Amino acid sequence: MTARDVVQRIRENQGLPWNDRSARDTFKLGDPDSQVTGIATTMMTTFGMLKRAHEQGLNMIVSHEDTWWNDPDNTKDLQENPLYKMKRDFVLQNGMILWRDHDNMHAQNRDFTVIGEMRSAGIRGGENASMHPGIMTIPETTLGELASQVRRSSGAHAFRCVGDPKAKVSRILVGPGYATPRMTAEADVVIGGEQQEADGAFDNVGYVRDAAALGIAKGVIMLGHVVSEEAGMEDLATWLRTFIPEVPIRFVPAGEPFWT
Amino acid sequence: MKNNHVSRRRFAMIAGTVTAGGIAFGETATLTAEKIVERIKTDLGGDWPPAGPDGFKAGDPSAPVTGVATTAMATMEVLKQAAKDGANLVFTYEPTFFSRADGPARVAPGAPGRGGFIGVAADDPVYHAKQEFIGKNHLIVFRLRDHWQARRENAMLTGLAESLGWTKYRVKPDDVLYDIPAMSAEQTVALIRSKLRLRGGLRAVGDRNARIRRVLLHPGVMTTATMWQRYTAADLIVAGEVREWENTHFFADLLTAGEKHGLVTVGRVVSEDPGMRACSAWLMTVLPAVPAQWIAAGDPYWRAI
Repeated sequence: MTARDVVQRIRENQGLPWNDRSARDTFKLGDPDSQVTGIATTMMTTFGMLKRAHEQGLNMIVSHEDTWWNDPDNTKDLQENPLYKMKRDFVLQNGMILWRDHDNMHAQNRDFTVIGEMRSAGIRGGENASMHPGIMTIPETTLGELASQVRRSSGAHAFRCVGDPKAKVSRILVGPGYATPRMTAEADVVIGGEQQEADGAFDNVGYVRDAAALGIAKGVIMLGHVVSEEAGMEDLATWLRTFIPEVPIRFVPAGEPFWT
Repeated sequence: MKNNHVSRRRFAMIAGTVTAGGIAFGETATLTAEKIVERIKTDLGGDWPPAGPDGFKAGDPSAPVTGVATTAMATMEVLKQAAKDGANLVFTYEPTFFSRADGPARVAPGAPGRGGFIGVAADDPVYHAKQEFIGKNHLIVFRLRDHWQARRENAMLTGLAESLGWTKYRVKPDDVLYDIPAMSAEQTVALIRSKLRLRGGLRAVGDRNARIRRVLLHPGVMTTATMWQRYTAADLIVAGEVREWENTHFFADLLTAGEKHGLVTVGRVVSEDPGMRACSAWLMTVLPAVPAQWIAAGDPYWRAI
């Protein structure tokens, strides 16, 4: 089975017309026609993750995010970069093949990244969520308690919260990665991956901060990009196993990158 | 800060006398927000296109000014402090109304959470309450970003260095590198946390035990292009914010490769606060008759326990 065969199998099982125009969902490195010894799904093709996948004998990477530290995976400015060369050589010398599944994952009726995000945040009812699940209502709690629950449930430690920890909240709006939803009148809390802090299309951080100062119960829980989408890549591995029995398929986490 | 208060009282006294007498007393009596801004525009130079981010965002520009405050972001907390201190003209580096549009959106909202339009909903309660507070307290808010950061003297940088206590360690007058007394990354981060009064906003990537001597300061947003050009020049980059799936991931990979370069992000607004303190000092040189003070917006983030 070649890497190209794997992608073809995914396309056939997607259940939706494949988006061929996506510049993200392409092979990034390695020979698509070489034999696959095993598949590693991951949130981000980090160098550490590549090494762990190689140690497990998995030579095809299905990654949700980029490899070359910029969303379009443009390598033009990196040709002389020593880290680029080291990572590239590691992939090529070990016969690895990198492929990204981003836009097509988010287009699925069930968006694994959002399903995984809600599960890891301990929010029930997201088992069939799409990329934009709308407001989820949870039993009323405080923003501080919700944040503690997210910490216990996700195991993440570096995520950031804004708002009054004592604010009573129950209506949650969830979004993956950089697609952190904008706060709405109906929502109490936005849970997302990351977002520009200010001067963007809508600045949740500044808004929630002012809402808190005015006694309006609003909160933001910014999980971090990896944490918000990582659990969904485990779901992707589970799904791939249902129609790719030929090779081992494992979830290899990229891991929360921060210390504080 | 203390001196500012003294000069503000004196200023209020002068202004009060003038108002009571109803006679123009030199320039001071007619100092409106508009006039102060005109003076600043003359001093900073450059074009001030109406479509640019800089300009009046709230309040009445023709209203008299009792004092000036500068901040990285005119949050409700900052505005309350300004009103309390009688500084009714606020210069803010970032938007007041939660987006680049800095006010109500012109396009109708899409589906909940979908985004797709820029700005706050016209009937938004937080927006209205903030406007009401500004009106009641006769505050005027002016965004001063592009023209302040375009000055040849990079005060956003030197302000941050000053807050960190690193002014004297600057390597070259026109560059962003500082050679600090060597310590571990963990110790450096602890120092940054304490000096910038950080709560939950600080996040670091790299080797905790790396020896840090040369630091690159980058207030605001650091792009990947800047990072790739400069990362080898420093043991540690201290930036406001970056994109996690781009810049952060590069530093995570450097760590895997055994490289000692680290990255600390402190939050966009926190990284810009010190540069606006420098702005208040500058304003006092341009407009010595107007008391100016700095109000830190501070770290908006906290961490779950």
